[in-house]
Amino acid sequence: MSSIKKVLLLIGSPRAGRSVSNALGEYLVSQMAAPGVKQEKIFIQQALKKDPTGTILINAFADADIVLLAFPLYADSLPHPVIEAFELLSASSRENRQGQKSFAVLCNSGFPEAGQSRLALGMCRQFAKESGLAWKGGLAMGGGGALEGRDLDKAGGMARNIRKALQTAAAALAENRDVPAEAMNLMARPMMPTWLYLFMGNLGWRIRARRNGVGPKLCEKPYKTP
Amino acid sequence: MKALILNGAKGGDAWMATIHRAVSKTMRAAGWELREFILADEPIADCMGCFGCWVKTPGVCVIPDLGRDVAEAVIGSDLLVLLTPVTFGGYSSILKKAIDRIIPLLSPFFMKIHGEVHHQGRYDRYPSFLGIGVMQSDDEESTRLFTTLIERNALNYQSTGKSLLVTRGEAIPSIEAKLAAMLNSAGGRS
Repeated sequence: MSSIKKVLLLIGSPRAGRSVSNALGEYLVSQMAAPGVKQEKIFIQQALKKDPTGTILINAFADADIVLLAFPLYADSLPHPVIEAFELLSASSRENRQGQKSFAVLCNSGFPEAGQSRLALGMCRQFAKESGLAWKGGLAMGGGGALEGRDLDKAGGMARNIRKALQTAAAALAENRDVPAEAMNLMARPMMPTWLYLFMGNLGWRIRARRNGVGPKLCEKPYKTP
Repeated sequence: MKALILNGAKGGDAWMATIHRAVSKTMRAAGWELREFILADEPIADCMGCFGCWVKTPGVCVIPDLGRDVAEAVIGSDLLVLLTPVTFGGYSSILKKAIDRIIPLLSPFFMKIHGEVHHQGRYDRYPSFLGIGVMQSDDEESTRLFTTLIERNALNYQSTGKSLLVTRGEAIPSIEAKLAAMLNSAGGRS
């Protein structure tokens, strides 16, 4: 029987409910739903704005048996609010040793290669180590831009491997087991050919800039260089 | 040659302030013209992930605060020095907030570098990166993560990056000597 009674989902994207991180995290915890298992979701940036001391986060973290973090890759690392949350949670964990809780993460990158998230996953593992958490593993996907603004259930065949990866991971995490390698491999599979993702991405930037009336200025250099 | 120091220490961290003074002294002695930001003292908003700096006001963040000045100072320098307590192998949250705000210096368009996709440069040249990470104690994994982070962040800006890892309590003259040796090879813009 699983020892997981309370699941805490942390969303690390500043885009909050509109983010790919939210779509992935929501899908993962939906697969972990079971009678008697409580779930809570916190948008990290909003929580820290409301309470910069981190009490909201720290209390929710202390109550959870497993903490799941979904975040976007920002400059090979975690977005600023996630690092701030890590600093607060790690200090709190060291002060208030409770039973060891589990920690797993989901990282989505706007680059096509899932491997670009390797460093960020390493930092999450280091946070777990320094905070006395049981590291259950990290799932990384590339090409996150293709899922922008969509529920995973409505993303069609393109997201088939992502859903299967999250189902497999959820089954393991619900029993407090490590994320299986099979789930990590499925999650890392490209949703479309790289050339198509890059073509669509580059076209998308042009369209968005044109809509904002700045199409011809996309490559401007507003600052002086030495 | 111009260098920019971004200090990501928490306010009131006396050891980090000591290191900062040693870094400034060593760099000035080596002939660098310095600009410095003590980021803990500065109100900088979070990146919102809105991509407005690419598709609304190309090259400039849509948030009108000091984050814009930091981005302008980065591209206006030959060497970017990132001084930070090593935090889970990476930057402190204070430094990361500023780093997240410099993406307007890149173009949204994709390109491949060494077979991996990155954003194209908006400018022709970028500063070299020098990460100075301060660790509580020696930690092999933190060292590996931090060194890789500096290299990869520099690669994002089609530049080169080097790291200097020191531990709290290490003798200042020893740190100054290591830094002076690195400055000889850190060079300017890439």
